[in-house]
Amino acid sequence: MSAENATAIVLRTVEFSETSLVVTLMTREFGKVGALAKGARRLKGPFESALDLLALCRIVFLRKSSESLDLVTEAKLLRRFRVKKGNLGGLYGGYYVAELLDAMTDDYDAHPELFDLADQTLAALADGETASKHVLRFELGLLRILGLLPSLEQCADCGDEVPAAGSVAFGHLDGGVLCAKCRVGKQQVASVHAGVLRTMTQLADSDDRVWRRLQIDKRTRGQLRGLMNQYMAHVLGRKPRLQPYLTWLERQ
Amino acid sequence: MAEITQAVTDLVDQFAKLPGIGKKSAERLTYHILHVHKSEALALAEAIRNVKENVRYCKSCYNLAEQELCGLCRDPGRQQDVICVVEQPRDLMALEQTGMYRGLYHVLLGRIAPLEGIGPDQLTIDALVNRVRAGGVEEVIMATNPTVEGDGTALYISSLLAETPVKITRLARGITSGSVLEYANKEMLSDALTGRQTF
Ligand SMILES: [Zn+2]
Ligand SMILES: [Zn+2]
Repeated sequence: MSAENATAIVLRTVEFSETSLVVTLMTREFGKVGALAKGARRLKGPFESALDLLALCRIVFLRKSSESLDLVTEAKLLRRFRVKKGNLGGLYGGYYVAELLDAMTDDYDAHPELFDLADQTLAALADGETASKHVLRFELGLLRILGLLPSLEQCADCGDEVPAAGSVAFGHLDGGVLCAKCRVGKQQVASVHAGVLRTMTQLADSDDRVWRRLQIDKRTRGQLRGLMNQYMAHVLGRKPRLQPYLTWLERQ
Repeated sequence: MAEITQAVTDLVDQFAKLPGIGKKSAERLTYHILHVHKSEALALAEAIRNVKENVRYCKSCYNLAEQELCGLCRDPGRQQDVICVVEQPRDLMALEQTGMYRGLYHVLLGRIAPLEGIGPDQLTIDALVNRVRAGGVEEVIMATNPTVEGDGTALYISSLLAETPVKITRLARGITSGSVLEYANKEMLSDALTGRQTF
């Protein structure tokens, strides 16, 4: 059993007893960690109510070698997640970030780049920046970092270049665009405008400058949201719990 | 003897199911019950039965009640034009203990927690909106827990009430963010009520 220090985002909290919480944390240094925080529900003590959803904290935890849960012994709040009045889009965007991080990463599988992307996204959402764009950027960044980004330029089946003009076939099961030959007879194929695919490529770019400059018109945003809803459901094997709430992203 | 042992074991098991009660405490409670006067022990059993058979939710505010309406809703001395919105009946009890508030309540019976699969439809939000739309309400005080989900619930409700002329306020931040109302002490709750701000 060794004591570790980490920077963490709180993904989930479950009341364990009158005074304790079981928390799921995304740490920058170790990846996802499930841990018991004894006394975390008390007003005073080593937690100071820092372990609230989506909060960014510095934590100290004891890593258990056996099957049992790790133990958080200290948490210091760095930034609380709090949206401004009326910004439900930002709030639901934040919950969605937590759901995807929890569902799509494994315990003790660290992805510092993904952590930083989540941290940056949550800060922007709380700040009231355009929620729809930041959530799309997060989803595509996450898919790229985890190696799940759909093929956007080459046919997912035969590898041929797919002409980026007009409507392009997108096979959810095949993991990307399909050329005219390969789309025949395929299931779950959506027809997507080439502009939407270009926007996806730019949003997934690891270079911040590429997507920050991007202006996405309402129609492209709508199509992209629809495509991502289907694709994420396919990748997760179920519809994300937050999906029905994502319509709020546009109502900011 | 086997039968007696079984009865004792059953009681220990029942106590051990209660929150915060471990095996040791369950045994202590069982021995206590075995030693007290029969009438005292049966009063406990009767109180449990009574609660389960007669307590329901108030038709208006969803507080615990023994009739259609709870005692607070039936009390003509309560200010009728202010509604204080809380997550659970125990939050209402904590606020009542301050003695600072004379209006009515609305108990949501939970909070919006999309990550846990709890949406607005599973709470008593519709009933609250109907109460406000029916008229006679001047102010709605949001006293949900100062957590991300509690604040989010208040935010959602205030977005629904935005078209009504009612004034919406939020408990002051005397209560530590990220904590829960029921653990705040009387003084903190009093301050939070007095210092409430427009939401
Ligand atoms: Zn092909
Ligand atoms: Zn009532």
